[in-house]
Amino acid sequence: MKVALFVPCYVDQFYPQVGIASLQLLEKLGVKAEFPAAQTCCGQPLANSGCEKDALPIYRHYVDTFSDYDYVVAPSGSCVYHVRKHFDKLEQTPEVQQVRTSAYDLIDFITTVLGVTEIPGTFPHRVGLHLSCHGQRGLHQANESEMTPVRDGQLRRLLGSLNGIELTELDRNDECCGFGGTFCVSEAAISARMGQDRVADHVRNGTTVLTGGDMSCLMHLEGIVRRRQLPMRVLHAAEILNGTLS
Amino acid sequence: MSSSREKILAAARANKPDEKPLPTVPDFGGDDSTERFTQVLTSIGGQVVWIDGPEQLQPVLKQLYPESRLSASPLFSGTVPVDALTSTEVLADVDLAVLPGEIGVAENGCIWLPEANMLHRALPTITQHLVLVLDHRRIVATMHQAYAQLPSTGGYGAFIAGPSKTADIEQSLVIGAHGARSLVVLLY
Amino acid sequence: MNHATRAAKFVGDADRTTWHDETLWFVRAKRDKAVYAVPEFQDLRELASQIKDHTLSKLDTYLEQFEEQAKRNGVHVHWAADAAEHNAIILDIIRKHNATRVVKSKSMLTEECHLNPHLLSNGIEVVDTDLGERIIQLRDEAPSHLVLPAIHLKKEDVGETFFQHLGTAKGEIDPQVLTEAARQHLRARFLAAEVAISGVNFAVAETGGVVVCTNEGNADLGVNLAHVHIAAMGIEKLIPRLSDLAVFTRLLARSATGQPVTTYTSHYTKPAAGKEMHIVIVDNGRTKQLGRPDFRASLKCIRCGACMNTCPVYRRSGGHSYDFTVPGPIGAILSPNIDMKKHSSLPFASTLCGSCSDVCPVKIDIHTQLYKWRQVLGEANEIPASKKWSMKLMGRLLTSPKVFGVSGKLARQGIKYLPYSLTHARHFNVWAVARELPTPPKQSFREWYQQQAKNPA
Ligand code: SF4
Repeated sequence: MKVALFVPCYVDQFYPQVGIASLQLLEKLGVKAEFPAAQTCCGQPLANSGCEKDALPIYRHYVDTFSDYDYVVAPSGSCVYHVRKHFDKLEQTPEVQQVRTSAYDLIDFITTVLGVTEIPGTFPHRVGLHLSCHGQRGLHQANESEMTPVRDGQLRRLLGSLNGIELTELDRNDECCGFGGTFCVSEAAISARMGQDRVADHVRNGTTVLTGGDMSCLMHLEGIVRRRQLPMRVLHAAEILNGTLS
Repeated sequence: MSSSREKILAAARANKPDEKPLPTVPDFGGDDSTERFTQVLTSIGGQVVWIDGPEQLQPVLKQLYPESRLSASPLFSGTVPVDALTSTEVLADVDLAVLPGEIGVAENGCIWLPEANMLHRALPTITQHLVLVLDHRRIVATMHQAYAQLPSTGGYGAFIAGPSKTADIEQSLVIGAHGARSLVVLLY
Repeated sequence: MNHATRAAKFVGDADRTTWHDETLWFVRAKRDKAVYAVPEFQDLRELASQIKDHTLSKLDTYLEQFEEQAKRNGVHVHWAADAAEHNAIILDIIRKHNATRVVKSKSMLTEECHLNPHLLSNGIEVVDTDLGERIIQLRDEAPSHLVLPAIHLKKEDVGETFFQHLGTAKGEIDPQVLTEAARQHLRARFLAAEVAISGVNFAVAETGGVVVCTNEGNADLGVNLAHVHIAAMGIEKLIPRLSDLAVFTRLLARSATGQPVTTYTSHYTKPAAGKEMHIVIVDNGRTKQLGRPDFRASLKCIRCGACMNTCPVYRRSGGHSYDFTVPGPIGAILSPNIDMKKHSSLPFASTLCGSCSDVCPVKIDIHTQLYKWRQVLGEANEIPASKKWSMKLMGRLLTSPKVFGVSGKLARQGIKYLPYSLTHARHFNVWAVARELPTPPKQSFREWYQQQAKNPA
């Protein structure tokens, strides 16, 4: 199994520890992932801004970089969703089809491809889970409140298997945090308010460690947590899972 | 006049996608019990009262509406004679209308009331209080089964589910918007 | 002014925003409860979606069938290509009856066509009879929601309006009392009305009849007392069979407010003896939307408003921030069809979270259409030039791994070395108005990885 790690640009620059944790976690689970140095971006920021045409060369570059791999794993459901859903704009060569099916969110990969359902380890904290929309509604990694009252999902199950962990129950289980890519600056006021409301839900319900599978949402939420100097740590799920898995 | 008609039809013809199939809608089954009907209707502001049969109507009504002055009904001779030609002024004074319902729907508590059972089309909404009389054997589980029993909807007819209501002011529910202020279903 | 500016103004009132958000979330929660209670709800959504897809694919045939049936029922059928024609037809019918007193129940179409100002300027008194609509009519405002037109107002606002117009006591804010005052006020209008205008929720091709759903009973009261009934409908209201109504009535109210069904589901097929019924069939841009393959599914909308209640942006920006008859996610995909320039910011007023598509009872892929409208707008140069150019630059950057590595580093170091006062200045960085920037690490992942490769631990 040839596996590549895709590290989104903001993770590369601002949250290298998330890339490192992803790599190490995979290794502990028996997968040696490579990091192809030529990688850049999935093109989502451009496409979501209405510049899909300008993103096409980036798509092609992504395909060139990753079409040799059986799986391309990213600690970000959003990029994966973009590759799977929006690379339909490219001519559907075997390579393009390959990267569209081989793209996996890290937690999805661990759960569905590796078949891992439990992680041994201890994490004695009150953990609040942020469900990122693209992973949840886009990639169906978790149940949606629009469909069912049952709160279930891949990450919830993996985290739930840790000893001593207490998952906090939110008033609104899966409301969007308001990051939204360029939305976070083009609609800064609404974006901030959405983030503040999300964080407040966690505060109300006792979260001391805020986590999730998509670093972009977490970057936004962390920005709010730090601005308000709240006693809450923000960690990508890979950091928690990697730290508890010796 | 007809030019817009032709224009719209032509544009629809030119712009429509390739034909897609019309699905068959299954009868999903469901709970058709009077208990379910009663529970749902109560939850939406209606009230269910059992009577032994239509002959028991008037004593029960006297009990339920001791103060009602002007009533209209095809089931007994009320105090106001109403037919399709009754004037608005007369209708406006009716405070109790007692009408036979045709079909009850357990999933949502509504009752089918065809024009033929209304005396006047406006009576069910203009009356202050509405009573619908329903044979409990006519309760079905869902809207699918209700529509399956309707050969047509006549000139006018309505499914009525509880009293008139609104929540347009701050989402606080207020019963008695423009139509009947209360709805009682007499089941027999 | 774009959506972001109007939204920023709304959200500036933090307490009111909290209230607006929570009130609408409460409606969403009621919807969830009602939806969970119907085991076949997802099947119904699929059926509704297919029925609508089918109808659109044979729209011309169904329109003709509907017209033929309606005429057979003794109904006058009119066709209006646009808003102006719709207004002219209605005014004409009213004039033919020498009528001046008109009541109107809820109809987004007449709102879309700006019928009220047209009638008023021609000496016709037209009174909106839905309570929420009446409130905003008295205040001379536009509706801010499809099914809750006055949801932007608090009871204090309504109390003040009724004090001014209906003579309720100053400071009276009890919804019960205010509603009763409106009931009395409107009853007089109902009794006096010569013509009643209604919207249409569903038009049944098979029977030629129209169905109107209300909770207040205002459509029935108005229509059944007046001498003339005018029902205005968009061409997309059609459904093929009477039995299809079962699917849609099971979905509509549950999705809209969490009620199992609307209080009145009224079927108007023939005029009452001695009275008149007219149906005005309106296009006003709909056939054009039908011709846009990526966007035609927006015509399946049954105007339940669920996408508004669930939209995290709508709940915090208010309906008026969209500045279009239909606000919220569905408005954002309908409006560019009408005026691409004016409404160019609406498809960007979304995080593309997808909740709208998941609540939509007819399964419109709303968030995908938002994404696609962005591309159309980008191509048509309807996005800010600065954005366009920075995206072009970024495009070049992101295809060159070398430049990419260097520029990322620059960005990271930039944050590190620039003073806080500069990186967090409002004008330079909107991100930082409410959020801290990430703390830049010493090393990027890329650098760490290369180092690792050289000296494996
Ligand atoms: S788009 Fe869907 S959810 Fe929104 S109003 Fe229309 S039918 Fe309802």
